[in-house]
Amino acid sequence: MKIDVQALSARVHRTPLLTDVSLHIESGELFGLVGPNGSGKSTLMRCLAGLRRPILGRVIADDTDLGQMPARLRACRIAFVEQQADTTDRLTVREAVELGRTPYLSPLRRWGADDQAAVENALSSVEMDAFADRLWHTLSGGERQRVHIARALAQAPDLLLLDEPTNHLDIRHQLSLMALVRDLPLTRVIALHDLNQAMTCDRVGVLHKGRLIAAGPPANVLHEDLLARVFGVAAKSATAPDGAPRLHFSHAL
Amino acid sequence: MKMAAAPVRLVAGRGLWLSPLLLAAAIMAGTAIGETRLPFLTVLQTLANHLWGAGYPVDGIEAGIIWSYRLPRAIIAACSGAGLALTGVVLQALLRNPLADPYLMGLSAGASTGAVLVTVAGVGGGAISMSLGALTGALLAFGCVVALAHAVNGAAGGGRATQAAAAIILAGIAGSQMFNALTAFTIARSANAEQARGIMFWLMGNLSGVRWEDVWACAGVSLAGVALCLWYRRGLDAFTFGADGAASLGINVQALRGSLITATAIMVGVLVSKVGAIGFVGLVVPHAMRFLVGTRHDRLVPASALAGAVFLVAADVISRILVPGQVLPIGVVTALVGAPAFALILVRGGARR
Repeated sequence: MKIDVQALSARVHRTPLLTDVSLHIESGELFGLVGPNGSGKSTLMRCLAGLRRPILGRVIADDTDLGQMPARLRACRIAFVEQQADTTDRLTVREAVELGRTPYLSPLRRWGADDQAAVENALSSVEMDAFADRLWHTLSGGERQRVHIARALAQAPDLLLLDEPTNHLDIRHQLSLMALVRDLPLTRVIALHDLNQAMTCDRVGVLHKGRLIAAGPPANVLHEDLLARVFGVAAKSATAPDGAPRLHFSHAL
Repeated sequence: MKMAAAPVRLVAGRGLWLSPLLLAAAIMAGTAIGETRLPFLTVLQTLANHLWGAGYPVDGIEAGIIWSYRLPRAIIAACSGAGLALTGVVLQALLRNPLADPYLMGLSAGASTGAVLVTVAGVGGGAISMSLGALTGALLAFGCVVALAHAVNGAAGGGRATQAAAAIILAGIAGSQMFNALTAFTIARSANAEQARGIMFWLMGNLSGVRWEDVWACAGVSLAGVALCLWYRRGLDAFTFGADGAASLGINVQALRGSLITATAIMVGVLVSKVGAIGFVGLVVPHAMRFLVGTRHDRLVPASALAGAVFLVAADVISRILVPGQVLPIGVVTALVGAPAFALILVRGGARR
């Protein structure tokens, strides 16, 4: 699914959260969204998910205005993995993933074979088949994020939105989650804090005080000037032993 | 592992078919047991006489007790239990708060204010019945709470559906306190000791004096409530990971939350106006049923309605026979029985983890 964000603005009362954000996301790409705390990453993600109505501008998803799309249709095409969504309910991993089929079911349409297949596929693509009957509260943070991604994949979306999915995860889970997301064959927009994780995206967009100030291939965008200006850190770009570009941060400015 | 889940569902499915029988048995027991114990056969014969004129010879007084007194009482107890438990399920699911109960929205406080204004302060000059006053009060209080929640949301900037849930709960607490204060004020100002005692009994739940006319209202709203909740079962499921999670699954959160909360508020308003504010059922039964049948609402809704119904019929029987010659307020029994049972469930559930 290709996304066209056109002159988007959002605000709470008079405080602007996003100002005049325009952005194009190609079908099938992994687009990283970076920016300091409070720069508007989550707000933009929520606008892309259709959870927040912008004050001005619009989001066009494959030629359809997101604001005009019925919620159920939207949920069949766009899936959203929130930042650390949790529950106190005692439900199993499979039940959590089955929630992803909600937009396809109606009070009269029963659970079918295609729903079952979608759930099984989603579970195996995040490698959580063996956990299907485990209870939610027995899972670790990394496992929970995988289940959330499986739930999102069960929606069979064309666009997957992930809001800082690697937060609070240990390094191993961070790396394996990023590898999982990189290999998914659909359009993905991922908000990230770790700029070296952002370096592995196809393209990145940088949000600063609610404005999109740069977008493009990570190696071009995340240069030393920008990192100093936006993030307030002194950084050097270098080539890692594996040949990939890496950022090294020395101190706060 | 796929095999393991199947038998559980099958059992739950079978349980659903058995549930009307269980409910009928509870109502039978509720009709037969009392200060004068009547044989089940007499109960069945009386029913047959009334339902299709079977013409069994039954003692007139016994038939009168069964048909005009105990049967409507048992049915209303069942309807109230089902309706209260259902409302607990809905509010706990939609507001993501385990302490949400049917009276959260100021319903019982409003109902008691309405009832007190009619019976003690003489509002309406006898033209308004106590239950009409209670219904008006309950719905008025609900309206105040909803308006207050909207105002809080507007002031906070709105937006996030999770914040809206907190606003509803806080508004409910404020509204309840205000209407409770109005009730206390009215009683303190104008009630005599006898009236105060009567009001206290009513506030803790009072099933005596219910008639067949009340049965139709109670049965109607509780059956409609069960049907509505079953219709929106997937919407209720979708709230598992919060209101935003539901929204991203294609649920129109505001519409679903608004309509289901309003519908259950009307249901509880009608029930409270007939039987008073029976506590504990709406809070405890949904939690107990989650331990037994899981959190999915296709099973939780019917299981909670059934368990609430059976629980309240049983509580009514106990309230009539516990102290010979005296009928206790049913709310005393639901709390006395329900609290330890709830504690047991919590401890057991904790041990299973």
